[in-house]
Amino acid sequence: MTTRTSTSAAYTAEPNPTFKLRHLLDRSSVVQLAIGIAAMVVATIVPHIFGISYWIGIVNLAIIYIVASVFMSLLLVDAGQVSFGHGAVFGAAAYAVGIACGMHGLPFPVGVLCGIVAALFIGILFALPALRVQWFYLGFVTLSAAMVFPQMLFAFNEYTKGISGISIPLAWMSEDLPIGISTLSLLVLILGIAALITSAVFPKTTLGRRMRVAAASPEAAQSLGISPGKMRFLAFIIASFGTGLAGVLYPPTVGFVSPNAFHLDMSILFFFAVIVGGKGQPLGTMAGITLLYLVPNVFLAQLVEYRALVYGIVAFVVMLLMPSGVVGGIVRWINLRQKPQTMPALQFSQIVDNVKPVERVKDENAIELVDVRKTFGSVVAINNVTLNVRRGEIHGLVGANGSGKTSLLNVLNGFTRIDGGTARINGKEITGLNARQVAKLGVGRTFQTPRIFEQLGAWDNVQIGLDAKLSDNPTLVSPAFVGNLRDMLSRLRTESIPHGQRRLLEVIRVILTDADILLLDEPAAGLSPDERIAFAALLRDLRDKLGLTIVFVEHDLDLVARVADRVTVLESGSVVASGDVASVWNDPKVKPLFVTVRHA
Amino acid sequence: MLEISGLCAGYGKLPVLRDVSFSVSAGEIVLIAGENGAGKTTLLQTIGGLIRPTAGNIRFEGKDVAGTIPEKLVPAGLRLVLDGHRVFPELSVFDNIRLGAVASNTPKATFDGAVEQIFSVFPILKEKSRDKARSLSGGQQQMLALAQAFVSQPKVLLCDEPSLGLAIALMPPIMEFLRTWAKTGTAIVIVEQHVDLALTVADRALLMERGSIVFNGTADEFRTGGDKNA
Amino acid sequence: MWQEYAIILVRGIGLGSVYALMAMSFNIVKVSSGILNFAQGNMLVLGGMIAYAATAYFGALSPVIWFLVMIASALIIGVVVTIQGYLTLLPLSHSEDQQSWLITTMAVSIIIGAVLLLAQGPNALMVRSIFPNIPLFGMRVPAPFLLAIGLAIFWYFALQLFMSKTLVGLAISALWQDPVAARAAGLKVRRLQLLAFGISGLVVGSTGFVAAPIITLASDSAVAYVLNGFVAVVIGGVASNTGALIAGPLVGVVAMLATFKIGGEFQGLFSMLMLVAILLIRPQGIFGDTAARRV
Repeated sequence: MTTRTSTSAAYTAEPNPTFKLRHLLDRSSVVQLAIGIAAMVVATIVPHIFGISYWIGIVNLAIIYIVASVFMSLLLVDAGQVSFGHGAVFGAAAYAVGIACGMHGLPFPVGVLCGIVAALFIGILFALPALRVQWFYLGFVTLSAAMVFPQMLFAFNEYTKGISGISIPLAWMSEDLPIGISTLSLLVLILGIAALITSAVFPKTTLGRRMRVAAASPEAAQSLGISPGKMRFLAFIIASFGTGLAGVLYPPTVGFVSPNAFHLDMSILFFFAVIVGGKGQPLGTMAGITLLYLVPNVFLAQLVEYRALVYGIVAFVVMLLMPSGVVGGIVRWINLRQKPQTMPALQFSQIVDNVKPVERVKDENAIELVDVRKTFGSVVAINNVTLNVRRGEIHGLVGANGSGKTSLLNVLNGFTRIDGGTARINGKEITGLNARQVAKLGVGRTFQTPRIFEQLGAWDNVQIGLDAKLSDNPTLVSPAFVGNLRDMLSRLRTESIPHGQRRLLEVIRVILTDADILLLDEPAAGLSPDERIAFAALLRDLRDKLGLTIVFVEHDLDLVARVADRVTVLESGSVVASGDVASVWNDPKVKPLFVTVRHA
Repeated sequence: MLEISGLCAGYGKLPVLRDVSFSVSAGEIVLIAGENGAGKTTLLQTIGGLIRPTAGNIRFEGKDVAGTIPEKLVPAGLRLVLDGHRVFPELSVFDNIRLGAVASNTPKATFDGAVEQIFSVFPILKEKSRDKARSLSGGQQQMLALAQAFVSQPKVLLCDEPSLGLAIALMPPIMEFLRTWAKTGTAIVIVEQHVDLALTVADRALLMERGSIVFNGTADEFRTGGDKNA
Repeated sequence: MWQEYAIILVRGIGLGSVYALMAMSFNIVKVSSGILNFAQGNMLVLGGMIAYAATAYFGALSPVIWFLVMIASALIIGVVVTIQGYLTLLPLSHSEDQQSWLITTMAVSIIIGAVLLLAQGPNALMVRSIFPNIPLFGMRVPAPFLLAIGLAIFWYFALQLFMSKTLVGLAISALWQDPVAARAAGLKVRRLQLLAFGISGLVVGSTGFVAAPIITLASDSAVAYVLNGFVAVVIGGVASNTGALIAGPLVGVVAMLATFKIGGEFQGLFSMLMLVAILLIRPQGIFGDTAARRV
């Protein structure tokens, strides 16, 4: 079925042999990480020097809460899952330690194991509805779970000692080690630093990028072979594991667990910390916990009853003044003061520089549609379309807006299941396949509104193409081009990529997946006449040198005439004409449809 | 009636409109052509008050209204109809029409007359006046969107791509309606991809490219110029 | 035996009417701005506090005074919620991040809860009904249960009339169906949204007052009403007041059954299970429309 196996030609050297920190973390993240780690170390050591146990406890607890919030942030910001029940995950871990160590006298490591299992259990419970419902529906399900959690601790009091709570005999953990801090503080500090690093690095891992794509645009994710459901599930597992680690350190820190400690308020605190601190900023959760937990507890140490009030007011005022959170607001302010970044023009010709041409089987159909039909309610989106695209052909789809061009692309990449007819891609029937499975057949696509995500770094937006690479073969395109692009994009903020360039980055992303069929939805919109000429050359290079098959929707008929081998004209979901450019252009049925604007 | 000069607008730091100038007089239909991404919709939304311009003037009846929000523009007589036949899907057809008159405070008699007129031009709306708008076909929704604008009796109508997503066969009656509407003295600016279709009713035509106007002339000039370009 | 069930039924429907009123109050804000006002639960409690304060101040209220104070309670909470709405909508107009309301409405809820805790401590306040118990099916039902049912029916018709017959009501219900089209049509979006907040305040203000003897008036009781109100919204279908009117009592009866038959601590669990069940089986709710999507 595939010719991909024969394409191992191109390159032996991996692109980008030199590792640069800049490629992994931007400057802002590095600075934030440094500040965060330094602050944690100082806050842990100083109270030990002075031997103030109240402070040691407060700092440890604050770091534990930061860890829990970091994983809340992973869930909310990276995976897009609204959970108001994170406190229940945390509480389950803490209570498991309490029951194991406090009631049954088991050693702490066993308690840790129980705690993590308990946290994972609650996490999986949350993940199940998340596969079906999203956004604040999910928020309410998890919120009610957080409410029910302490009630259940009361209800099953024979196992939990109910209202009286469990005291934890783990005093040895609080004794100072020779290095000057206690075992507990050391564990908390290590976990805290690990969590901070995780929060900065995770978005830059393959999994982190995939989660963000799945959260930002499930359909783009599927077209890159990513399963959004799997990403959500994994997010809940990772988040509950991390939160569980934080939760198991709670009992030795406080010395006691009781149902009232794990009220809904705790879940809300973790949620608030992420947003008030600044979504997606490595220092965000730390700032959030400092503002919402540490400040009220330290400055109102004598006025316990005012803590909740101050906490509510701080959260409210921060959101009114800085909707992107404290750290987010500061970062924005710094960015605004810098001069706007400009993106240098992309040199397409380099994409296939020095590339050894790829030989593919000619004279077979890459795409075969027979009598394909799709209706939405009473609207016929695709009306008995029959269409073949030969391998190594550039095929233009033209027609007015709403004539069914995008609907047809959606069929070709598996977004919409057809109601009738047959569709074969690379020789395989795709009627029963979903978008991910079609993507794996070697189909890549771009979208009318470019799926360039501001939740991802500029380079990460291209890197997700490499992540989705279909084979282990070295990339087909010039490694020098990829390297240059990486260098250039690593310096840029995603917001500063101009609209027209976004489309091209999306095209490059899809090429990097090794797809041998590209579906491009209006790739040239927003390009200048010169850029169009360069783009046309790129399409021809992709066909001639990499042997790709390209189907593209385009309004610029001159561009279509310049590059397309064949053209199909659609109107109201039906094929009006199909064939080589000259014959279609002169078709009397087509003419009246195209008095549209030509380019000068 | 409407004079645009030196208009610039954009999203964030990305400029979309660059120094756009043109004018429309009462009773005139002006077509704005150009391909996707040229800035036509941004232009209409900026004039209609949905997007704040970054520079330039929008003179409506001699007064600069640049940056004025739609809830002030609509009562003054400047109304934008969005593309994609957007109506309020869960409201009935008649309620959709009624909402058109809320902002403009159309007097009862004028409203009744306008509804009468609409129903005679698009009898299907009368027939379905109690159905929810979402049960209408795309073409009927476009009629409804125009009807909603019509009852506010604007002096300037901005109409964004009325044919979007509709079969071409449905368009002539809608275009015909716009022509009769203009004859009552309303200035109409219309963005349309089906240039030939719009040229049947347009008096003048503009061509936009990458945020600027590259051609401004009569419909006839546009037709011949367009052919030359092709 | 059957009498026990009759009691559960009547009290469940009465309490459920409070949930139905919460749901209707959620709905009007939701259709106008897409916001789910978490602070609404504490607004309900505040309404109940007004009843407590009035009894403390006037002694036993005569029915006329009771009625006047109820109106006053509705108006006061209406104004408070309008101000809250104004603040909630404020950051939404100049930020691309449209989720700040999640935090601001919860924060207001926390602030009110904290103030209540400071003002009157952790214990719940008791409000005695001024009306005698009413004989029904051979038992004596405390009047507030029946008054709550009456109030739910009153607000249901009032809101249906307002939302479908008046232009202002129509405009409010149109806003979130297509916010851009609403702006283009020249609707005064922000003002209408504030009005919706205000009306939601009238509903919960009057509900809190009328139902004061049968709801828990404490600094931390609000969340349960928010949750049960939301369950009623989901079961009834978002934005459907008819759905809310039916789903509220349903939730109430189930909660009563759980309390009487299994134990009060399982009430929350049952609400949650109902929520999960409806979301898994019919996420659009009983009266919700599959087609009710935004363009």
